Amino acid sequence: MSVARITAEGSQQVDQTLAPIVEALNRQRSRLSQIPVRKLLGLLDDFAGRLLRDERTRTLEGIAFLSAWLRRSNLQKLLELNLNGNPAYLDGFLPEGRNYLAAKPHGLVAMWMAGNVATLPMFSLVPALLAKNVCLVKLAYPDPAGMDRLLAVLAESQADELAGADLLEAVAVVWFDYTRRDLNEAMSLAADAKVIWGGGAAIKAITSLPRREHCVEIVFGPKYSIGLIGRKQSESSDGLDSVIAAFVRDVAIFDQRACSAPQTIFIERNGRYSLGEVGEMFARHLAALPGKPGLDAYTTMQILNARAQWALDQSRDVIASADGANWTVCMDHDVGLKEAVQSRTVFLTEVESWREVIPLLSPKVQTVGLALADPEETLAFAEAATEAGVARCVRPGIMNNFESPWDGKLVLSQLVRWVTLKP
Amino acid sequence: MPADETDVRGVDRQIEELIRGPQYAMMQADKDARLVSILRVLCRDVARRCAPYGRFLQRLGKEPDAWQTVADVPPLPVAMFKRFELAAVPPEKVVRQLRSSSTTGQEPSRIAIDKTTAFRQGRALVSVLKQHIGGRRRPFLVLDAAESVAAGDSLSARGAAVRGVENFASHTTFAMRMLASGDLEPDWERVEVFFAQHGDKPVLLFGFTFIVWSRFVLEAERRGLQFRAPRAVLLHSGGWKKLQAQAVSKEEFTRRTAAVLGCEPQKILDFYGMVEQAGTVFVDCEAGNKHAPAFADVVIRRPYTLLPVEVGEMGIIEVASVLPTSYPGQALITDDQGTLVGVDDCPCGRKGSCFRFTHRIERVEVRGCGDTFAQSREIR
Repeated sequence: MSVARITAEGSQQVDQTLAPIVEALNRQRSRLSQIPVRKLLGLLDDFAGRLLRDERTRTLEGIAFLSAWLRRSNLQKLLELNLNGNPAYLDGFLPEGRNYLAAKPHGLVAMWMAGNVATLPMFSLVPALLAKNVCLVKLAYPDPAGMDRLLAVLAESQADELAGADLLEAVAVVWFDYTRRDLNEAMSLAADAKVIWGGGAAIKAITSLPRREHCVEIVFGPKYSIGLIGRKQSESSDGLDSVIAAFVRDVAIFDQRACSAPQTIFIERNGRYSLGEVGEMFARHLAALPGKPGLDAYTTMQILNARAQWALDQSRDVIASADGANWTVCMDHDVGLKEAVQSRTVFLTEVESWREVIPLLSPKVQTVGLALADPEETLAFAEAATEAGVARCVRPGIMNNFESPWDGKLVLSQLVRWVTLKP
Repeated sequence: MPADETDVRGVDRQIEELIRGPQYAMMQADKDARLVSILRVLCRDVARRCAPYGRFLQRLGKEPDAWQTVADVPPLPVAMFKRFELAAVPPEKVVRQLRSSSTTGQEPSRIAIDKTTAFRQGRALVSVLKQHIGGRRRPFLVLDAAESVAAGDSLSARGAAVRGVENFASHTTFAMRMLASGDLEPDWERVEVFFAQHGDKPVLLFGFTFIVWSRFVLEAERRGLQFRAPRAVLLHSGGWKKLQAQAVSKEEFTRRTAAVLGCEPQKILDFYGMVEQAGTVFVDCEAGNKHAPAFADVVIRRPYTLLPVEVGEMGIIEVASVLPTSYPGQALITDDQGTLVGVDDCPCGRKGSCFRFTHRIERVEVRGCGDTFAQSREIR
């Protein structure tokens, strides 16, 4: 099996090596660096609009968020946040007192994608292109899973005399088997920067590949995310229902395989709802979700094991869908982070106080979906949690919204080299 | 969930009939109806005596009275025997504890066996194997070491299987010795004497698949040893995961093992079974398919929906058996995948469902950036 190239037309076998692809990408470097950033923003804004209109992309999971994220206003803010307040640094030297400062591309950015989120490649690809890097993207699965359709719509996008098809000359999306060490090595050695998304084993394997001395590595994952519902939230007049509905949205999207999806949700004990009642509310919202497209045997068995483990244990309880391994609510009082089962499996743990959760937090925990309903407590928790290593504390419902910073990193700022001129 | 004692005694008689009777004569629909009516009573009775299983049924299944088919019985994941002591009898009634082999540092399964279960398991195994190899006792060569069949009230999976097959032995020879390291080494002198004395007669061999392959067949090939045992039958089970890792197919295993033994490849019989359901074995037929005996059944379930698959479809293997009464082993969903090959229509003439084991369920390659153990698990 050799290298498959994913384009707007789909996937096809192209070669035994990556060399021709890498050469073609490197030839695009100077052309890409000449495109003003405002033209790139215009093109991506047009792309954003087309994504929601186009039959090929409008039903992709997470497309509404991707479209909003690609809008000029959002990317402009992202650039300002990442580039010292002025995106024009990407177009050349700007005066900085008596001297000059510019943000130059690294060159070729190699990206290893996780297979869990169809739109994920775009969240690395777009910042890398805005930083005027040529991009070699390796998908996790041979099935493009919508990436070909995204590329097709991008190819047809146009603004300010810049055509999406021309921009895509600077991008190659490929797949090859993860066991092909030779191809992984070639990709790593071609890179001026590496962006790696994935689980523990993938990250370990890819970061151990040889790379050039100047090559920068940006790693996302593996991470674990949690939720926290405070006593005041449960006892407030708003009640719990809307908060639980929002958490269930976070659970449903990307089938809980994103590092930002909540796995364990802590509930502060309160005078209004028992843990069992909270579990029933979760169950009701999970039952209202549309069915899943499918599920592998491994995750199915993980779900069945978790259900049985919680059912057999006298100190625990479980509510499970009757229609196979669809959704599961596991409940207990064991203050710990439960092993992530994914695919609509939520672990609810009752605690006396949110303070019991703090010792569990570390850099391994990426996002906390936070519903404390008390500004002071929210701030106190966020201070303690982020001090412990957590990257994001956000309200339920937006846990999976990709934003900058992500995992504690301003991604785009790491995809440029800051250069100086002191005449 | 109180069980009626009269019902329990009634199903005892039915279970005895199934063990005694022909093993592969019942059409699937008849068998399903008979088994589910027994399982309704049996599972309710075990649930009454094993509180964790009672909770399991109550939380994750329909009422036993609502079970219409064997597939309606909520299957307990086989891994639960590694995590919980699931006995339906008090400790004084346990005559033997079976243990699974524990790999990669996991806890082994612990299965509490009472007198009734032990008796049924032994007789059931004999009843099934009789239909494949005949009832006559014959010289028995165990491709393992005597130490693996430790005496006492605790028995490993290997030991339990050897003891079960030993019912067909006129006398037993162990082909291997156990080294101080715990590794096994063939005693070629003993093996040669066995074949010299009995090679031309019907002989029975038994071993665990990976041990047979790695310690016996490969070693014999390396030494250029070939025996002549044209009337030998080799029963083997377990360990396909390790063989698949070495890219050894079932066909290759059978061909090369038969060549070393000097017997017909059709007499190399693989059977599917597990310590959590000892006595219940699914033996290869002449067509290479595994059949469920009269007192047991196989349900191959689709991932996600858990609905039974159609013929020709692959899914997760669940095994059901009416033998255990001292633990909740009546319906167990395994970590294996298999294909449902046919129902009542196997070319070998045996009725009921037949299947083929395909592989162990492996961790999927890409579970995404959220695929991580929780920190608490890592550091504890």
